[in-house]
Amino acid sequence: MATEAKLVIQQTKPGKPGAGPVAQKTDFLSGNEAAAKAASDIEFHVMGYFPITPSTEVAETLSRMQADGEHEIMMVPADGEHGAAGICYGASLGGGRVLNATSSQGLLYALEQLPVQSGTRAPMVLNVATRAVSGPLDIRCDHSDIYFALNTGWIILMARGPQEVYDMNIAAIRIGEHADVRLPVIVAYDGFFTSHQKRRVETITDKEALKAFLGENKPPYTALDPRKPVTFGPYMNDPDLINNKKQHSMAMEAARKVIPEVFAELEQLTGRSYSVVDRYRMDDAEAAVVLLNSAAETAKAVADTLRDQGQKVGVLSLNVLRPFPAELIRDALRGVKAIVIGDRADSYGADGGNLSLEVRAAIQLDPENSTRVATRIYGLGGKDFDDDDAEAFFDLALEGAEKGAFEETFGYHGAFAGSPELDFAEGLPPIETAEVTRGMAKVTPDEETGLLNVELQPLWAMAEVPGRIAPGHGACPGCGAFPVLHQVFSVLEGDVVVLFQTGCAMVVTTGYPKTAHRVTYIHNLFQNGAATLSGLVEMYHELIRRGELAGVSIDEEITFVMVSGDGGMDIGMGPALGAAHRNHHMMILEYDNQGYMNTGAQLSYSTPLGHRTSTSQVGKARRGKLTHHKDTPQIFSAAHVPYVFTASEGYPEDLMRKAAKAQWYAKHEGLSYGKILSFCPLNWTTTDDAAESVLQVAIDSLFFPIYEVERGHTTITYDPEALGRKRKLTDWLGQMGKTKHLMAEGNEERLAAIEEEVMRRWRRIKAMHEHPEL
Amino acid sequence: MNECVLPDPTGLFEVRFESIGGLGANSAGKILATAAVLDMNLNGSHFSSYGSEKKGSVVRSYVRLGAVDKPIRTSAPIDSPDVIVIFHDALAKQDITIAGMKEKGVVIYNGAPGDVPANLKKLPAGTKVVRIDATNIALEEFSRANAVLLGTLCAVVPFLDGDKVLDKLTAKFREHNPRAAEANDRAFMRGATEFEVIEGLAEGKGELPVIRPTPVLGYETAPMGGVIPNAGNTISNDLSASRTGYMPRFAGAKCIHCGLCATVCPDFCLAWTHEYDEEGVKKIRLKGIDYQYCKGCMRCVETCPTEAMVRVTETPGLADSLRVPLYAEKAPAA
Repeated sequence: MATEAKLVIQQTKPGKPGAGPVAQKTDFLSGNEAAAKAASDIEFHVMGYFPITPSTEVAETLSRMQADGEHEIMMVPADGEHGAAGICYGASLGGGRVLNATSSQGLLYALEQLPVQSGTRAPMVLNVATRAVSGPLDIRCDHSDIYFALNTGWIILMARGPQEVYDMNIAAIRIGEHADVRLPVIVAYDGFFTSHQKRRVETITDKEALKAFLGENKPPYTALDPRKPVTFGPYMNDPDLINNKKQHSMAMEAARKVIPEVFAELEQLTGRSYSVVDRYRMDDAEAAVVLLNSAAETAKAVADTLRDQGQKVGVLSLNVLRPFPAELIRDALRGVKAIVIGDRADSYGADGGNLSLEVRAAIQLDPENSTRVATRIYGLGGKDFDDDDAEAFFDLALEGAEKGAFEETFGYHGAFAGSPELDFAEGLPPIETAEVTRGMAKVTPDEETGLLNVELQPLWAMAEVPGRIAPGHGACPGCGAFPVLHQVFSVLEGDVVVLFQTGCAMVVTTGYPKTAHRVTYIHNLFQNGAATLSGLVEMYHELIRRGELAGVSIDEEITFVMVSGDGGMDIGMGPALGAAHRNHHMMILEYDNQGYMNTGAQLSYSTPLGHRTSTSQVGKARRGKLTHHKDTPQIFSAAHVPYVFTASEGYPEDLMRKAAKAQWYAKHEGLSYGKILSFCPLNWTTTDDAAESVLQVAIDSLFFPIYEVERGHTTITYDPEALGRKRKLTDWLGQMGKTKHLMAEGNEERLAAIEEEVMRRWRRIKAMHEHPEL
Repeated sequence: MNECVLPDPTGLFEVRFESIGGLGANSAGKILATAAVLDMNLNGSHFSSYGSEKKGSVVRSYVRLGAVDKPIRTSAPIDSPDVIVIFHDALAKQDITIAGMKEKGVVIYNGAPGDVPANLKKLPAGTKVVRIDATNIALEEFSRANAVLLGTLCAVVPFLDGDKVLDKLTAKFREHNPRAAEANDRAFMRGATEFEVIEGLAEGKGELPVIRPTPVLGYETAPMGGVIPNAGNTISNDLSASRTGYMPRFAGAKCIHCGLCATVCPDFCLAWTHEYDEEGVKKIRLKGIDYQYCKGCMRCVETCPTEAMVRVTETPGLADSLRVPLYAEKAPAA
């Protein structure tokens, strides 16, 4: 049995305003806002982050506060969570204080970096607003993400509400930076239930007192002292690695002692008391439930009611998940006859989630313990845990206590078997190949130039082409992604299989149990769609080659189309370029609405300079995004794929011609890529019907050049200058709420910088257009 | 600080806002709860039910209030509210909007004079049913419906301090945009004074049952892996509630059937047919709009070269009478 410091076990008490000696004020904050407020109060040096629901609001709130001049944290928008983890790791090696916030797949995408950071002993604070992991994709709360972090070697603090989020962030600094510990710390709180629920929160107003409490970070080694050169991350095999891991284990053991000390000091500061294990009405309890985070609070209210009825019940919850407080749990459960452990995630095939497995293992080591244990998997994917659910858990625990055994020691609570009367809503019949092979855009290679000619049917003739996406999807009014898809699908010939990367168009078309897709559709997370589709493409051709799929002529072959937002071309850039360099027979279409609109309009690398997003806010201290927009078509062009184009939903004929060419190249030669400027009234802050005018000026101001790169030859397909239609950039920027601030006095320099970059890029495209080799 | 006394000082007072994304229910809940916690010395919690950041889908906003020393333990949505505020009259027709209504509670709905949704009869007898024309008042005052509805709420629920709520509503505008603040003042005050109590409408017996969304498929009936085998089954969705007071109207006589509207319509709600002229040439013709899917963005109106699409105010029943169903045999989902 591990040696653990014996601790005074106390129940967590809710904070009273002004109870501690330090000056505080009452605020009304969500868990995410509380994390942001704590970050601002702590004055972290660097934050590396990437948007993911439901944790994004931490970065958003900090961006708002930064624009208002409330803090000076260097906020680095990463290309993905893996990148964000790298940014944080590097920053931490520099010796300052580092912050991040993530959820679900974001945590998993960063996961391989987490042991790197803990194993090389670089402290930081990572807020995790817990959320179900894919697939299928679910944005709501459970603990399947945080359970994956259990083996990363990070300290994990749990926060049951916004006040706890604030306090644990402050405690995390002291715990992680302690000389005996030096480990990174996760603060985990329930997605939506806590991340998005506003509560009364006391925050510290006496900054000096907080500063004194936090003290100085004193890293034994830093990467920023050339006079003391050190090597971080050596190549270490046996017989050394086990010793490094033993040190890591010793640091965790040290944390057992440090954590309650820090909690005690924090209580002196704020008046709010935390224990490692939260025991609610447990002292004489005969039956109890064991739960993490918000569900434990719900259970406490029900425990009160049951106590009033004379039932001896209690609630056990953990404020610290790593190091796992086994001794305290043994102590708390020694006299309890039966418990129900609620796991908000399953460890499939292990007869329990990780909380169950660890609590069972802890009490199994106690010879005096005879507690009966049942596990229930509950609340997955955001399914509410309300009073009735808590009552069911208590009833089960009481029954177990009375009978001295559980009939069913493992099960799912709240799952639904289904009903013979219920089935999917009726859909539409499959689209026959002939129905979508109508020659709406006839492509013929020009024998002289080697380039393609396209003969387009009139728009009215296309109106009867069956849509590959059905009506009834849930996009915002005026959404531009769907006109884009409609225009493309109007001219694509024959059968298609689509893969949508995570994003608006994916979420609003496939809300279970309904799908708007009339063709076979696949979703994968936006860091990996291109690789996934390339695998399917190769399987298709391999099955044909082996004769396992009926042989088809090239005209009858399936066309494979990946659809992504511009955000997916940040986090998914690596796999997309991988697919491009392998030149698979597929199309990649990017609808570019200049931000991560699905998660609430955070900046992407395609967001232009100065534009306001929820993570590039505008205020007295900040004026929108700090860097220029990404030139994705030029990146694909440099991969030397057969066909690259730009287009806009505002020029349907131009887009349709290019889509037809892209299909031809995908079938005959390899990968084609198109970036399509796509209207987003909600987050560009325009009226729903402003698409035509806004898109027109975006193009006529030369911000978004319309061109194609066909077999390496650049052709401008619409030249506003040559046509005498060039407009000023301000004619475009003045039309959108997200850029209106640039019209105000004092932005002349910023406007000039945008103008200069736009013209520089335009001149390059023009030069390429004119040069026979480019 | 004034002491606010709840109707049940030991219990929780719960308000549920029923709305469509974009109408301001989340802000309304936030303003109410913030005023209660920071200025009325109450404990409180506020959150909204929404998924990804979409406009036009159903949003519920929840406010729990209690005495300052009363812990609010639960994080779950409010099943049995004391007050329901309905932001859009289309929602008043749905049972889920009023589900779980307590006895002797309050229901405030946004409706024009004379608009009395029959479904509200199901409310427990004794429910105070209050109508307020929030949409029109908001339009007249250049404010938003949520300002009007908050005014009504504070007038109908006496323990809520209207001055404090109004202050929170306008605080962020006072400095930078005094005209917006004044517009909100007027909208709030009109909400507080121009409502109508609909007597004798509620005739149900006892608290309404709670409705929890039940899955259609279960673990014994769902295809493995979350696959959806019924392609295109969103056609059973009804998106009418996404429209916020206006709709496009098709003036067939002016239409030249050019197909431009089809290239810009995000909702694929235009109904096309074809006919043959005397020479047997196929003519593709626009018949009209399936309003079951139209979200009222007006992109067709903006793009139409001949004014064959016109923006009109949506009056009750208009969309139903003009609708050209894309899938005649499919009834809209309940």
